[in-house]
Amino acid sequence: MKHTGILCDGIRRRDFLRVGGAGLFGAAWTLPDLLNQQAMATHFEADLSKNDRSLIVVFLRGGLSTIDTWDLKPDAPIEFRGDFNPIPTNVSGIQIGEHMPRLARQMDKFSLVRSFTHSNSDHGPADHYMLTGYHPVSGFNAELTPNNQRPSHGSIIARKLGPRGSVPPYVCVPNMHSSGGASYLGADYAPFSVNADPSDPGFAVRDIVPPLDLDPSRANSRRELLSQVDRFQRNAEGRTNSTAQTVSVFRQKAFDLMTSPTAKRAFNIHAENDKLREEYGHNSLGQSCLMARRLVEAGVRCTTVHHVDWDTHDNNFVTLKRDLLPKLDAAMSTLFRDLADRGLLEQTLVIVTGEFGRTPRINTNAGRDHWGPGFTVAMGGGGVQGGRIVGRSDERAERPADNPFGPEDLNTTIYHLLGINPNEEFHTIEGRPMPIINGGRVMKELL
Amino acid sequence: MNIVPSALAGDAEFVRRSYIGIIGTLPTVEEARRFLDSSDPAKRSHLIDELLKRPEYDDYWALKWADLLRVDRQALGHKRAYAYYEWIRQSFAENKSLDQFVRDILTFAGNTTDAPQVSFYRVVGDPNKIASTVSQVFLGVRIECAQCHHHPFDRWSQTDYYGMTAFFRQVNRKGTIRGEMMVPDGNPKASHPRTGATIYAHALGETMPDKLLSGDQRQMLADWMTGTDNPWFARNAANRLWAHLMGRGLVEPVDDFRDTNPPSNPELLDALASYLVENGYDVKELIRAITASATYQRTSRPNETNEEDEQNYSRALLKRLDAEVLLDAVCQVTGLNEKFRGVPFGARAIELWDSEVDHYFLKLFGRPTRKTACQCERSTQPTVGQVLHLLNSPEIHIKLSHEAGRIAQLVDNHPGDRELIESIYLTFLSRRPISGEQAIAIDYFNKNDNGRRVAAEDLAWSLMNSLEFMFNH
Repeated sequence: MKHTGILCDGIRRRDFLRVGGAGLFGAAWTLPDLLNQQAMATHFEADLSKNDRSLIVVFLRGGLSTIDTWDLKPDAPIEFRGDFNPIPTNVSGIQIGEHMPRLARQMDKFSLVRSFTHSNSDHGPADHYMLTGYHPVSGFNAELTPNNQRPSHGSIIARKLGPRGSVPPYVCVPNMHSSGGASYLGADYAPFSVNADPSDPGFAVRDIVPPLDLDPSRANSRRELLSQVDRFQRNAEGRTNSTAQTVSVFRQKAFDLMTSPTAKRAFNIHAENDKLREEYGHNSLGQSCLMARRLVEAGVRCTTVHHVDWDTHDNNFVTLKRDLLPKLDAAMSTLFRDLADRGLLEQTLVIVTGEFGRTPRINTNAGRDHWGPGFTVAMGGGGVQGGRIVGRSDERAERPADNPFGPEDLNTTIYHLLGINPNEEFHTIEGRPMPIINGGRVMKELL
Repeated sequence: MNIVPSALAGDAEFVRRSYIGIIGTLPTVEEARRFLDSSDPAKRSHLIDELLKRPEYDDYWALKWADLLRVDRQALGHKRAYAYYEWIRQSFAENKSLDQFVRDILTFAGNTTDAPQVSFYRVVGDPNKIASTVSQVFLGVRIECAQCHHHPFDRWSQTDYYGMTAFFRQVNRKGTIRGEMMVPDGNPKASHPRTGATIYAHALGETMPDKLLSGDQRQMLADWMTGTDNPWFARNAANRLWAHLMGRGLVEPVDDFRDTNPPSNPELLDALASYLVENGYDVKELIRAITASATYQRTSRPNETNEEDEQNYSRALLKRLDAEVLLDAVCQVTGLNEKFRGVPFGARAIELWDSEVDHYFLKLFGRPTRKTACQCERSTQPTVGQVLHLLNSPEIHIKLSHEAGRIAQLVDNHPGDRELIESIYLTFLSRRPISGEQAIAIDYFNKNDNGRRVAAEDLAWSLMNSLEFMFNH
């Protein structure tokens, strides 16, 4: 069997349908292949109706200091404790940091895994580890975008579940995280990157509509002309070259986006009511979270919000207090409340995390450095119960005191909740098995 | 395998393929016409000879090597980065032999004021990084894993790794009143990170000397690299050149030679490497030899036996145009240049020495940022954003519809639709339309109520968005 990617297993129902229509894969398919695919496609439909959840990952790149936010240690020695005090939340017995008062009132909607740990305290590899569930191996080059040695969970979701309606299955906002790529799954499952900041007053997704002075009938007729003159797309040249085939697939996706009123509506953040926009916060994080909610409503399965300012080596407390925490407090609390108000929280898994935490021991610049061995991950919605604390850290929040969880467990839990069997594997064309996960267990304590 | 190779490519395929591959530039309408209409039986080899003399050859190959050697303005500063680039470009302009090129970079000693190639040392950093970069770029061997442990997929031990780094521990750059001096006054040795044993400079796979040798050991390294029996240097260079022209290396990735990643055709790789050595490491000679081969000159159209084959060069592979080449092609076919910051108006994208020049198109289409020496930094992976940009962007719309642009000019110069359509095809695809295409276009012109100009713009837009334009085939 041969199709767009290098993989030998299932294919999305949509691709199957396209075989008959546009004939992209034409002669490479045999009848038994097609029948086989049809059977699998039917099976997928059945699965989807049961588990129609979406995922929003709010990735705080640089690393959130969780001892100052989710897991305060007021009794720790002065060189660990930090400047902030705990405050009560709307769940009795749970306290969080004082600079997140609005989140404290939404604590019933999400839970905290305070015993998260992994072995890497370097930005690049830790990013990859969190977003794929795989620690990178030799040859990893963090500077590349994408740098994936394994597919990001967004790409796996796109591959396994396919698009829902006319919007892409996997979107990054405002731009793509460098470990957000599709790796061996191929470019078909790479994210659609918005490449524009929704907090920008003139925000618009670039190039998504034809030039304004082009009337619609002309746009249609030249699109028709393109399909007639693009001989490689119709001939064997396009079909038998994997990159060219990817462009063909992307062109179809581009046309889908251009002609999708759903996508256009979702991206038009200016239509959102001003009060709600204000509540999310007029900054990149806030408006990106709002965009994520709009995308979930439109049918996007995985939205990754990529926010970059969290590497607080210097002046950690002032930066958090004056800048970062007010933004996070507004964006995240409004996101949970807004999803709940719209009845979307049950279907939407929200994960808020950095690639690691920060050193509980305060450095000489009143900052905190990279720290993988112990931090907190916040999760809510999509089948995760609110108001729970899972796991404990030690008295200085340096390491888990019990129940340690790592990126393998996080990704396994994501797949489980989205209705993807985490124990499945892909196969490369050489037959090499590529398991979706690298061990790990479902974090049942959250469910 | 029962694969039968595809037929010989026609002249139109050959002319476009050679222009893009060798000088990173589309043929103009006049150039394409001249070649297609020439009855010279040796016109293909004559074309290659002409292309190898073009200044665009120097630009394009300097661009490729500036990626690998990391002409990085942020790291080097404007002045040094520019001088470094100019040095690389000049080396290709004078067709410096590859062994001399490498020797000039690696073995320089003395006042660095007039030696811009020393920026290689500056941008790469410490002796460890220099050793692994030299191995990866010039030998195609990745040794960096062996910094911390025995290489998991290869034979390299920590002793091999530190033996390579020791060559570069010998040199220091020192400020003097006469300017910065590069002096080999250190000891060419390192110590094993685990055992503490002294490791004397020695090249990959060679026996370590049993005592500290005198003299600048980098000379010895360069002799070893460029010696006729070096297992990697010539093969790596030949493989990179082959990969560029053919769309796929005999060893792939091109910078990952190891026992567990053998070449797909070892005899061919050996032959290419020997040819390079026998011809004094003359890059242009190797380009002549490759482009004269039946393998290079195959059509991209598959036959029934080779549809699935993307590994054995049984047909020409489709190669997405590099970001800079594609942007230049867009400018050339529309007759409207881009303005890049910091260079004179009219400069083309393949002439840009600075890979940080802010440009949405170049970023979108995968221009590398030169933060590593990995060929993989330059991406030709498609994205939906790229496709959307070519379809819809106002920038490209303006180029297609501009009063002073190529399309307007062609419409004015060709009163007949048939001639106009032929010129548009030659402009965009370097070939004449086949009869079915001519009929489709004529039909579009006839049915169109918006006038010839609009119809011509629509045809141009369609051709620019076709796979045939985006790919070299």
